[in-house]
Amino acid sequence: MSQKRMTILILLVFCLGLILAGCPKKTVVKEEPSAAARREEAARIEAERAREAREREAREREAREREAREREAREREKAKEELEKSLIAKKTPGIEGTVYESTLLKTIHFDFDKYDIRPGDAEILKENAAVLKKYPNLKIQIEGHCDERGTEAYNLALGERRATSTKNYLISLGISPDRITTISYGEERPLDPGHNEEAWAKNRRAQFVIIAK
Amino acid sequence: MLRSFLSIIILFIILFLLITPSKARVYLDINAPSFVQLPIVLPKWKSLGKTPPSLSIKVYEILSNDLLLSGFFRVVDYSKLPPLLREKEGIPDPLLISEWIHSGGEMLMVGDVSLEPDTLQVVLRYHLVDLIEQKRLVGKQIEGHLQNLRYLVHRISDEVIFQLTGEHGMNTTKLAYVMRQGESKEIFVADFDGANVKQVTKNQSINLSPAWSPDGKKIIFTSYLKRNPDLYVMELNKEGTLRLSFQPGLNASPSWSPDGKKLAIMLSREGKSEIAILDANGTNPRFLTKGHGNESSPSWSPDGQWIAFCSDRSGSPQIYVMDTNGSNLRRLTYEGNYNTSPSWSPKGNRIAFCGRVGGEFHIFTIEADGSGLRKLTSNSGHNESPCWSPDGRYIAFSSTRTGSSKIYIMNANGFNQRPLTPSKGGESSPTWSPRF
Repeated sequence: MSQKRMTILILLVFCLGLILAGCPKKTVVKEEPSAAARREEAARIEAERAREAREREAREREAREREAREREAREREKAKEELEKSLIAKKTPGIEGTVYESTLLKTIHFDFDKYDIRPGDAEILKENAAVLKKYPNLKIQIEGHCDERGTEAYNLALGERRATSTKNYLISLGISPDRITTISYGEERPLDPGHNEEAWAKNRRAQFVIIAK
Repeated sequence: MLRSFLSIIILFIILFLLITPSKARVYLDINAPSFVQLPIVLPKWKSLGKTPPSLSIKVYEILSNDLLLSGFFRVVDYSKLPPLLREKEGIPDPLLISEWIHSGGEMLMVGDVSLEPDTLQVVLRYHLVDLIEQKRLVGKQIEGHLQNLRYLVHRISDEVIFQLTGEHGMNTTKLAYVMRQGESKEIFVADFDGANVKQVTKNQSINLSPAWSPDGKKIIFTSYLKRNPDLYVMELNKEGTLRLSFQPGLNASPSWSPDGKKLAIMLSREGKSEIAILDANGTNPRFLTKGHGNESSPSWSPDGQWIAFCSDRSGSPQIYVMDTNGSNLRRLTYEGNYNTSPSWSPKGNRIAFCGRVGGEFHIFTIEADGSGLRKLTSNSGHNESPCWSPDGRYIAFSSTRTGSSKIYIMNANGFNQRPLTPSKGGESSPTWSPRF
């Protein structure tokens, strides 16, 4: 019996020892969290600062962009006004729809019975192409015209060719063909009703009208 | 059975032999490069009974103008007739041919008119006499409503021309043409002598190049109504038009095939004018030319196998001919550097066209093989858009010789050029109807 008691006692002492042995370890764990927290806090503050900086930067960028947008809008508005001011609405009896003539798009001229673009007129077409690039929403119709001399049907074909060669030149300058249609009026729409070389030279032309803006 | 059949055939042969000599005499060959006009004595017509005298005066005016426009006749100056003949009017009873043989004419035409006041029916009686052979060629009467007086008189002059040439004339035809009205161009129709002018388009648009259908019922034309030169057709006695061909670009300068089933037109492809054939309802376009130049003004040959057109593929506009598949191409004109708007004669093989000489445009004709070039106009001013009468004996065209452009008619050899009257000017692009 006493031997049994002894064993229990030893076990109890052992258990107590085990318990006591565990206690100092617990104190060490309790001491360490305060240092980690400090580091954590520092990182947190660091992140917070970075975030604030990013936000500030974004705000500034947004403001700059807004300003740029507003400036662009103002410029667009101004350009639009400039375009609107340049427009003359043209409604012709017996011909469907309204088109606009613009002083920004300059007329070019041709030699008698010819449809090639002359060097001086090529410069005018470059300016017209710049206008079309500035106003990407513009859709235009190129009208080919002839002087009164020669046959009506032949002049229809010639006017068609003048409009087409003008269109092709604008395409070569980077203008999308989707934005350009052509029409030949032959000798039917003279600018100058005269019957002399001066009038004829004015009437042999490719003229631009705006069909969408 | 066989015997009676044979005897019928023999009878026909005998009849044919009997009839032919009387029809064989053709007094006038208008297709000759030059011919002498037949002098005709034309005494005043008489209004019978209670018929107003103004009626016979009117008939006489229309008739003598028809005979002048035909180019076949020279009306003998009335004041130069012997006094006895000068007094005669109407149809003398009896008609003594011997009285007239020294009148200075080779032909005599007399007639009278009577009006039934209740029904407004008119009866026109007339005789045509050959004074050289001293025989009566025609003695006929024609009747109809007073409203159609002009048409009735045109029928008479047509009969006279048929008797003397063996072929009907242009007296019952009409012309359609374009007339400028301020900014717009409208299509008008008039009798061949310029009377009965009617405006047939009233849309204020630009209406161009009318072409009369071979059956005379329709006119096809190009209009800018939808801001594109589209092809339209109208029926002459009906309201409204129908849009036939409306590809972006040109749908212009139509020409009917002789059977009326097809149209040759200028049609754009890749921004350039080509010649194409469509069905008469505007469907099934088929291109005949393939990008060699600016092609314009197609015109069918009377057999429907060929198309004359204008092309600048050589560097200047010239007249070409091709078959209806676009093959067998040949160039007809080599003189001058601006030859346009060919029009193929409905009879024979000549093609009329407009060519530039110096600073002026003139009407020429040439054979379909390129031979026999002939210049028909030489007055100052521009002469353009030739088109043929259905009998192939006349050419209508526009001319600026007196200022504003007017429609003129001449014989196919260039003889007897006369303006369509009355005319305000600003007229162009004539097209001739068939006979009505």
